[in-house]
Amino acid sequence: MRRIALKFGLIAVAGGILLATLGLGGASTARPTLVYGGSADPTYLDPALVSDGESFRVTAAIMEGLVYLKPGTTKVKPRLAIRWKTSGKGKIWTFWLRRGVKFHDGTPFNASAVCFNFNRWYNWKGPFQDASATFYYQAIYYGFKHNEVAGLGAPLYRSCSARGPYKVSIRLRRPSGTFFPSLVVSSFAMQSPKALKQYGADEGELRNGTFVVTGSYAFSHPTGTGPFKFKSWTVGQKVELVRNGDYWGNKAKIDRLIIRPIGTSTGRLQALQNGEVNAYDLAAPQDAATIRSNSKLKVITRPPFNVAYVTIHQGGNSPMNDIKVRQAVAYGLNKQAVVSQFYFGVGKVAKEFIPPSLPGWSDKVETYPYNPTKARQLLNSSSCHVPCKVDFWYPTGISRPYMPDPARNFQAFSASLEASGFQVTAHSAPWRPTYVAKVNEGSAGDLNLIGWSGDYGDPDNFVGTFFKSPNPQFNFQNPAIFNVLTRAANEANYAKRVKLYRQANILIMKYLPAVPYAHSLSLLGAEKRVHNLIAEPTGGTFFQYVTVG
Amino acid sequence: MLRYVVRRLLLIVPILLGLSILVFFWVRALPGSPISSLLGERATPQLVQQYRERYGFDEPVYKQYFKQLKSWARADFGTSIATHRQISDEIKQRFPATMELAIAALIFAGGIGVPLGFFAAKKHGGLFDHASLFLSLIGISIPVFFLAIILKYIFAVRLGWLPTVGRISVLIETDHPTNFYVLDAIITRDWNALWDVLKHLILPAVALGSIPLAIITRITRAAVLDVQNEDYVRTARAKGLPPLTVDRRHILRNALLPISTIIGLQAGLLLSGAVLTETVFAYPGIGSWLRDAIFNRDYPVIQGGILFIALVFVLVNLIVDISYAIINPRIRYS
Amino acid sequence: MSVAEVEAREIQLEAPSGLWSEAWRRLRRNPAAIVGFVLVSIFVFVALFAPLVAPYGPLEQGLEGELNFASPSWGHPFGLDPLGRDLFSRVVYGARYSLLIGVVSVAVGLSIGMVIGALAGYLGGWIDSILMRLMDIMLAIPGLLLAIGIVAALGPGLTQIMAAVGATQIPIFARLLRGSILATRETDYVLAARSVGVKGRPILVSHILPNSLSPVIVQGTLALATAIIDVAGLGFLGLGPQDPSTPEWGTMLTDTTRYLQTAPFLALIPGAAIVFSVLGFNLIGDGLREALDPRFRGRA
Repeated sequence: MRRIALKFGLIAVAGGILLATLGLGGASTARPTLVYGGSADPTYLDPALVSDGESFRVTAAIMEGLVYLKPGTTKVKPRLAIRWKTSGKGKIWTFWLRRGVKFHDGTPFNASAVCFNFNRWYNWKGPFQDASATFYYQAIYYGFKHNEVAGLGAPLYRSCSARGPYKVSIRLRRPSGTFFPSLVVSSFAMQSPKALKQYGADEGELRNGTFVVTGSYAFSHPTGTGPFKFKSWTVGQKVELVRNGDYWGNKAKIDRLIIRPIGTSTGRLQALQNGEVNAYDLAAPQDAATIRSNSKLKVITRPPFNVAYVTIHQGGNSPMNDIKVRQAVAYGLNKQAVVSQFYFGVGKVAKEFIPPSLPGWSDKVETYPYNPTKARQLLNSSSCHVPCKVDFWYPTGISRPYMPDPARNFQAFSASLEASGFQVTAHSAPWRPTYVAKVNEGSAGDLNLIGWSGDYGDPDNFVGTFFKSPNPQFNFQNPAIFNVLTRAANEANYAKRVKLYRQANILIMKYLPAVPYAHSLSLLGAEKRVHNLIAEPTGGTFFQYVTVG
Repeated sequence: MLRYVVRRLLLIVPILLGLSILVFFWVRALPGSPISSLLGERATPQLVQQYRERYGFDEPVYKQYFKQLKSWARADFGTSIATHRQISDEIKQRFPATMELAIAALIFAGGIGVPLGFFAAKKHGGLFDHASLFLSLIGISIPVFFLAIILKYIFAVRLGWLPTVGRISVLIETDHPTNFYVLDAIITRDWNALWDVLKHLILPAVALGSIPLAIITRITRAAVLDVQNEDYVRTARAKGLPPLTVDRRHILRNALLPISTIIGLQAGLLLSGAVLTETVFAYPGIGSWLRDAIFNRDYPVIQGGILFIALVFVLVNLIVDISYAIINPRIRYS
Repeated sequence: MSVAEVEAREIQLEAPSGLWSEAWRRLRRNPAAIVGFVLVSIFVFVALFAPLVAPYGPLEQGLEGELNFASPSWGHPFGLDPLGRDLFSRVVYGARYSLLIGVVSVAVGLSIGMVIGALAGYLGGWIDSILMRLMDIMLAIPGLLLAIGIVAALGPGLTQIMAAVGATQIPIFARLLRGSILATRETDYVLAARSVGVKGRPILVSHILPNSLSPVIVQGTLALATAIIDVAGLGFLGLGPQDPSTPEWGTMLTDTTRYLQTAPFLALIPGAAIVFSVLGFNLIGDGLREALDPRFRGRA
């Protein structure tokens, strides 16, 4: 009798354990969670009102634009719009929208939602016109319906009309080549009109000189169409997103995406080593070896999207006015040595201003490998004989992704210039608060070290920003370069545009308003069991296809 | 007694006023503008000019000062340039975290320091005494951030026993009614969360509490040594009271007086040590907030943060002084 | 500072003259103080004679070819850092920076603080009140934060952090000297001297000042220790010397903690150097305090 009871008991216990395990893993259809380490909290979760990478990292998972960059590249591909065409001499853009897409609050994505978003931006007033509030809108569209703040230009946008539920026309006031590629920028993602209205997305004010959002939309109700939905945001701790089970495309393979801010790269590294994050961004290049030496971890690279260059300031009686002197500078900079020694293995020598991943990059530009003899010859046949005196500036107190150690770059370049017939007078200033201002206004000597990180995947953001029109930093006049860049910026036809930028790059590297010398990769650290984590050249991370384990 | 409290309270006013003036002019002494640090390479002259006009420094100084005083009185400490959040909101969010950490550090320091000092005094001159003195000296000599880094490396990265960052695991879902996570976990009876929060507190509390531990050990030892030789202790012993009772009732209780005042004064060390410790552990309190602000040259935050911490420090000192006066009648009647 | 602290301090100050010889005797018998003295002597010696002690320069890179991160060996007792520099030499040269920082900061704090304290203590009245209120305001901000605030205004750099740390020491020395002067002013021998007709200045110089000095000396050594630690902390926050090749111990720590897993000695050794030199000053300061404090008499 006892033995039977015992047997029963054992079976019951075993059954109970089995059931319990099933029950626990009855989340066995549960997908994993990915914890990702960023460097800071987002500012706001309304991408139209921010310009920092940490905010975009979150909003890009929640919201989508009409088009997007194929993950890991800078090729523009359909997203919420499936095809498009231009008419009216490039002033009218018609988009055919994807059907069956819903916002996270259940409302449909359609043409009127698109127009709502565009008109929302265009009609912004008062504090929303502050440069700190709507940086990208102002950068692309220049102005609003009624400009109230100084420094705004004539608006590019005219109107938006819905031609049926899935066809929308956007009218611009003038043809623009930047309008279409800019649609990939997270600021221009499509957000739910209902949620925007319901949660006061357009309530904001200027407080103590800073733009502040006062509605709750940007803190707790960001609503888009993306593969992840917003769950919660605890400042200083984490942003939690959950899988969108009704997503129109390939649904996410993880149930939860948690992004946590850890202020220092060493902190993020140690969190990865300790298993508190599964992956993290902005890994210091010095840590690459440490990560690789761990059999459970790996390094993911992000294609370079920046450029380090030496400004050449012309004008007045500067020796730099002479093309031969500028060529001598180009030949006199030992770029290869600097890139291999001071970039911790993540640098590449730059041939031109835009990085290779960007359309418009040309293989046919003139290059200037280090050649001190040639440099001397050029100088002696120029207006500035050997030794040619130059004032060379560099910044202190800073490390930039494109220039990890400015002082070392400077010392090496200084030495190679001197070997090439120049006489260098060194100057330096702290990055904050003076250096950048001096470079921008053209008061940082004949040569100075500076760089640029791209905002969005468009060559205008690189070369257009600098060379489209006269700029005190470089202080040169070259109508050919101004013209081709302006035409390219306004050219609506994508293929033509790319050709124009290639031309522009060839011209720039011939004329040498500055000498680009390096691009640098950025790195992510991750556990080996994290797959399909894609680092975007523009700085974001693409989470849609990520799997863990 | 009341007179003393009132006098003490009045003393605070000139200090607070002085602080406000100091901080106000400090802001104006900052080089350049924080705008350039925010905009980086994008700091085109036009944008900088726009911002410069915004932070209008054109009104007469005294008017600006009174405007500033009025906002401070309303607990409006300004807006962070980097995060666009109200500084008072950030303080409300982050100060409980730092307070929790500071209290944990004090419990660690006091809980170990008092018994350590007590036994060192009892075994005065012996090996234990010398060892504890030496250890406490080492405690004062190790920079807080160095200790934090080493503790983190050994117990988290190497041994994996404890976490390296934050207050609570990101995977845990729980409510935070008071924002004091330990208290919250107890209130909501979430024992899993409680254990997790405690795990996150251990390393930073030990690092932060290392210096107070050293100081409390020494003060306890000195205080106990003093009290031990007092007449009333000798009388108690002569009366034949068991040694433990003598210890508890007479020695400890009287030694506790100087010890408790010292504990209150550790607030300054704890608040400044928090900046370093919280940075190492990415602990979301006032300390790491200040460090980020320094890094970003976010001057409204640096200003608001320093002012707030000074306020807290002054208040803590006030409370310590008043309680000291309550406990020690000699002060009251002086 | 509060009543409690002032009270505690005042008890310490009642030391009649003739203290020095006995103090010296007790110091010599104190093993902890002797250890401290040894540590500090090594530190000062290494700092002063760095070029002789260090086999290499602190900035020489690429030693041993491209072999970076080398572990300790005979040729390089502390190993090589990521840029191929000899860690031993860098630590040795680092002693110079730490000594310089400590001495300058304390000198700044001490000199300005003592002047303020002397004026307040000796002149009394409303000068005393104002000066002490100013000191109270400075003390209302905890040390490191005050230093951070000053450096934020001055900008980062080695001289700036020395000034900032020095400034944080001022109120401590001011209060100390003032309290000391106040106490000695009322002692019998000063009153006696006054009653005989000795005037202000001679009393100050020959009676009050010498007897107020002992706590200042103690505080000075302890202040040196605090200065070295505070500067390391400021360096860790990124406010110190901006050139990362500067062999200052605190700055050396900031960049090497990332290598704890692969090359722990890079961070541990400069850290240990800080700990030992600070410990030395603390030991001496402690020994001095015990030697000079009458309360500990008969308690060897």
